[in-house]
Amino acid sequence: MVTRREILERGYGLGAIAVASLLKEQGLLANPQVAGSGPQHFDLLPKPPTHGFGKAKAMISMFMQGGPSHIDMFDPKPELNRLDGQDFPGEVKYDDAAGASSEVMGSPWAFSKHGESGMDFSELVPNMAGIADDITMIRSMHTGVNNHGQSINALHNGSALTGRPTLGSWLTYGLGAENKNLPAYVALTDPRGLPVLGVDNFTNGWLPSVYQGTVIRPKEPRILNLDPPKSLKGDAQRRYLDFVERLNRDHADQRPGETELEARIQSFELAARMQVAAKDALDINQESEATLRMYGVDKKETNDFGSRCLIARRLVERGVRFVSIFTGNQTWDNHSSILTSLPAACRYVDQPAAALVMDLKQRGLLDSTVVHWGGEMGRLPVIQNRSGAKKGDRKKVGRDHNTYGFSMWVAGGGFKGGHIHGATDEFGHHAVEDVVNHYDYHATLLHLFGLKSEELTFKRNGTDQSLVQNDEARVVEGLLA
Amino acid sequence: MNHRSLAGLLFFATVTFTATAEEPLTFERDVRPILKTHCFHCHGEDGETKGTLDVRLQRFLLKGGNEGPAIIPGKPEESLLVKMLREGEMPKEKGKLPDKDIATIAAWVEAGAVTARPEPESLEDAPLFTEEEQSWWSFQPLANVTVPALTESKHPIDAFISRKLKEKSLSHSPRADSLTVIRRAAFDLTGLPPTPEEVDAFAANSQKDPSGAYQALIDRLLASPAYGERWGRHWLDVAGYADSDGVTEKDLERKHAWKYRDYVIQSLNSDKPFDEFVREQLAGDEIASLEGVHANSGSEVERARYAELLTATGFLRMAPDGTGAKNDLLTRNASITDTMKIVSTAFYGMTIQCAECHDHRYDPITQADFYELRSVFQPGFNPVKWKNPNSRLVSLQTTEEKAKAAAIDAEAKVVEAARLERQKGFIQIVLEKELLKSDESERAAIRTAYNTVVKERTPEQVTLLKGHPTINKLTASTLYLYDQTYKTKYNEELKAMTAEAAKIREKKPKNELVQAFTEAPMKPEAIPATFLFHRGDPESPKGKVTPSDLDVLSGWRETKLPESLDTVPTSGRRLALGKVLTDGTHPLLARVMVNRVWMHHFGTGLVKSVADFGFLGEKPSHPELLDWLAQEFVANGWSLKALHRLILSSDTWQQQSQRDDVRDTIDPDNRLLSRQSKRRLEAETLRDSLLAVSGKLSSSQFGEPVPVMFTEEGQVVIGIDTTDTAGRQTGKFISLDGQEFRRSIYIQIRRSRPLDLFAAFDAPPMTDANCEIRPITTVSPQSLLLMNNIGMREHSQYFAQRLEKESVKASIEDTIKHAWKLAYGRSPDERELSEASDFLTLQTAFYTVEPATLERLSGPVSPENANPRLLGLTALTHALLSTNEFLYID
Repeated sequence: MVTRREILERGYGLGAIAVASLLKEQGLLANPQVAGSGPQHFDLLPKPPTHGFGKAKAMISMFMQGGPSHIDMFDPKPELNRLDGQDFPGEVKYDDAAGASSEVMGSPWAFSKHGESGMDFSELVPNMAGIADDITMIRSMHTGVNNHGQSINALHNGSALTGRPTLGSWLTYGLGAENKNLPAYVALTDPRGLPVLGVDNFTNGWLPSVYQGTVIRPKEPRILNLDPPKSLKGDAQRRYLDFVERLNRDHADQRPGETELEARIQSFELAARMQVAAKDALDINQESEATLRMYGVDKKETNDFGSRCLIARRLVERGVRFVSIFTGNQTWDNHSSILTSLPAACRYVDQPAAALVMDLKQRGLLDSTVVHWGGEMGRLPVIQNRSGAKKGDRKKVGRDHNTYGFSMWVAGGGFKGGHIHGATDEFGHHAVEDVVNHYDYHATLLHLFGLKSEELTFKRNGTDQSLVQNDEARVVEGLLA
Repeated sequence: MNHRSLAGLLFFATVTFTATAEEPLTFERDVRPILKTHCFHCHGEDGETKGTLDVRLQRFLLKGGNEGPAIIPGKPEESLLVKMLREGEMPKEKGKLPDKDIATIAAWVEAGAVTARPEPESLEDAPLFTEEEQSWWSFQPLANVTVPALTESKHPIDAFISRKLKEKSLSHSPRADSLTVIRRAAFDLTGLPPTPEEVDAFAANSQKDPSGAYQALIDRLLASPAYGERWGRHWLDVAGYADSDGVTEKDLERKHAWKYRDYVIQSLNSDKPFDEFVREQLAGDEIASLEGVHANSGSEVERARYAELLTATGFLRMAPDGTGAKNDLLTRNASITDTMKIVSTAFYGMTIQCAECHDHRYDPITQADFYELRSVFQPGFNPVKWKNPNSRLVSLQTTEEKAKAAAIDAEAKVVEAARLERQKGFIQIVLEKELLKSDESERAAIRTAYNTVVKERTPEQVTLLKGHPTINKLTASTLYLYDQTYKTKYNEELKAMTAEAAKIREKKPKNELVQAFTEAPMKPEAIPATFLFHRGDPESPKGKVTPSDLDVLSGWRETKLPESLDTVPTSGRRLALGKVLTDGTHPLLARVMVNRVWMHHFGTGLVKSVADFGFLGEKPSHPELLDWLAQEFVANGWSLKALHRLILSSDTWQQQSQRDDVRDTIDPDNRLLSRQSKRRLEAETLRDSLLAVSGKLSSSQFGEPVPVMFTEEGQVVIGIDTTDTAGRQTGKFISLDGQEFRRSIYIQIRRSRPLDLFAAFDAPPMTDANCEIRPITTVSPQSLLLMNNIGMREHSQYFAQRLEKESVKASIEDTIKHAWKLAYGRSPDERELSEASDFLTLQTAFYTVEPATLERLSGPVSPENANPRLLGLTALTHALLSTNEFLYID
């Protein structure tokens, strides 16, 4: 007879279905869930995609909380430069009335075309320009909810409300985990603080806690409770674990058929393995000097984000399903002093983000890994002047929120390379062509993973809940390779 | 196995059922539920008939819409409805319907598209419920059940269970051994492990008089103050108890919520009849006016009763309420909806809140039902004159106390006024001294400038003052600095006066505040109207509604509720609802509560979906037993303790939980209860057990919650927050003086910062309205926590210290035996003893070579290395506390 442990140790190489069916045969799987019933049991065993054509196996999302100014980075608008200083010829949807102005501000940064595809980038992101042919630039993003929290929610959980499960939770709920030694869903937080909405950026909402994002902290200890306390290091812990397992084995042997007891023994073993596996995955010193330099780990300005991008690659390489990398609270919310604050924000991420795509590509991982770079909004074509600076003095001015049309880029996992999708109006205010709403984006992502929103459901309050809640959501074919 | 392949299994089961069913398919039973779920929204409901097609009746389908008839009886291939469904053209922009649903509709058309009975003339007058909907089991009166013949079973519960077991050739399992029984009973009733002495006494008494010993055990546990703490926690899940408002990032603290928690514990401990408990929580304020008790009542007893009744209504203030931070229409409405969900879960076991935006997709609950029930609470919520959470606090002060407080305030103000004068005088004195430093010719001008109100100073005066910074900066708040210059003690004198005022204020009678739900007394015509909101949008009010119980019950009982009562100065609507729900014949309340109690004694309810007795829930495994229990519950005066006694005295509860192949094959989920079920300790019970076993558990009850805080590592632990105003860690540590060892129910529940241990073991963070049923997860972060968390080390150290203290001269073996007894209630067997002994010896030896200090989760760590023997023992206790035997009850 094969024990569950042997199956699990032989690992997932067997193929998910084979393992699952073997386990089922052995009666070792957690109880299946029954619609609308009592306490349920959930697991992270790998589950095959339901629709076969999923190319994506993993996703890394670099979430630029605050709202990067698309018209200063990715979406050139000569019309704005022409009208610079004049009144905006139309209506602007302001968020902050106090600082509102109608004075058009052209981009202070020069744009040029890059790659064979001729994709536009401003001088702020020279490294991203270098991966033009590997990414799809979506210039027609739209959430339409004009504040940070709501728009963050829209992009993470599909609604303007807080408390629903985030994308990473849905994916791990639907597909399980590929690595039995690491958490399936990881959030890499910024040393400058959590983004707006804090832990809701990676919450499992009301999905069971196994689908929760595990925080890998920006500094040691990177995972809570991962390191043994001082008095339990080394042999002391080894003996402790052995002893606990012996007691648990005896206990389970006297209670045959109790799969949960077995599952708990397993989870203890996983925890013990994680101490080593996670340590290993997080140890970027194992990387070559060239790789470290590529990600900018050697430079003060890019050390943090570079390290986290590198960790993300190491995690995905090891079978982690979903990794979120966050920038600090409102890093991109350039209401004022955009002339200095935006370049600083760009320098923090430009090189590492581009390195991540290149590195995944050279390792043959890009085809199966979706990479996302973007925030919850873009910015308005007009000046926001909170400091009351005189006309013409641009030092302290910025731009206000714009969720009606903004850019973000995606790569790998079945997305096109070297492609610009959709367009905003001539001022970059509203998405007007091939609009991609947050729910379209989600439907497309699920499609790439071989899932369908209407099938990936969770019963709650008597109804089937899913990530995509808008009836008009559609898979955006134009984004697919 | 995953959720999707299971859907496949269910599909298979349904098809089999349909295929073997002899009865012809009917519109009402088979087709309408599918259309109601997927199509009514656009084709019939709420006046919406896209393509002029209404699908709510069979005859409407025959008539069809713009594109002609939707169905042609007998010809599914030619029926537009079937075609469109098959091609996935409908429902528009949504996924295709499940194949089985399309097949059902096609088969129904093929068989002639019949109805069960003639269809109603009109859909306009009354909400339409089909006979199928009206006859749904949970809407029926409690059935008059006869207990099956007590042949072998002496207990009615066992008789009901046996009958079903026999049908499957199963039988009860043998009674569990005495250790299992006492552990199970102790955890079930008090949430705490039995002490070794209790275990031994029970074993000995059981030898002599089994039934007497058992009786005594249950009596003792039910009488324990820990009972109310245990079952209070269950009720707080349903009520959605938290010590903060939630919703916004601020997650403001609720400083007075704990009084409701104490009310629940006290009510359960005193075995307050459950009907009364329900009525008090719904309408305590109105009951108070009926009983004539108020804040100014003459006797202490009456005032206490008033406080109790008002506190009870805190139930209706448990829902998240963000209006303290963000008082807009949507936030207000969300709080009302959450309250409706709590009411619905707790008293109806239904998902009435699903009908907020449209008729319930599955259950016969109309959108009007939702708003009619909401209108019961409308006068209290009063959305037009909304009050934020703090404004809803009610003071328990008597008029006399208030007057006294005002008088004392006035007294203090006299001192404060005097202080202010004194301060002004000091400033002038200093000013004169400072003026001496300036040119004599300027002095008068400077003095005038300084004594001119800042806003009224001329630019010249401003410039003049800037030239004399020590005068310019002289203010009340900088005055103390001049004390140093002139060796005066002005500041000290002023401080003394401040202290004097504070001291006077200390004499003020304490102002007890209660988080209550109250209504302003108002004339019936002044009661704020309740409107049905179009598609749930509070900005689109439609028709006016009046209070009512669920309309689907109107076939056999009165559902209309009064709009106002004469007996109370308030609307009396909640009073009326409470009365209706607890009249002993309401089909839901007693069933729902009995089922919840059953779930906590068996791990699963007779109705598995404890909060959904509707069409998507699971039907009762033993409907007759459920009804019998509900009626017994009512007949026994709604006594919960009597209900526990009844259940715990059955063989069904006392049987062992061991699985075997026969049982697992015939009844894998143990729905028939041929054995008990193993259960994992809940988060709070786990922590309480750790404290109990290590000897640290505090027996102190009630009062303000024990605070939680973030550690530098970002963990949420018990402790006093000492971060500065910018949220930075200061490294300061303030001792909780033993408060940290109180039971888990007394730990603060801040929705935005759930205690790590609680969150890891599935305690609800209450970011939702409430928790109807806890999930059970088995994940590695739990194991990491058990293994490596410093808090676990602390518990283990305390346990080890207890062992040292209690076995001073004992041998290693005896110490181990004691440890086993404390952790598991039993002695180790030979092998366990020898393995533990080896383990202890090796670990102790290890620490002799590799010394270590004791661990502290927060606060100063002793720099000295601990005794290796203590560390060795800690290794042993840590292991015992990490095992499944500790974490699970048989």
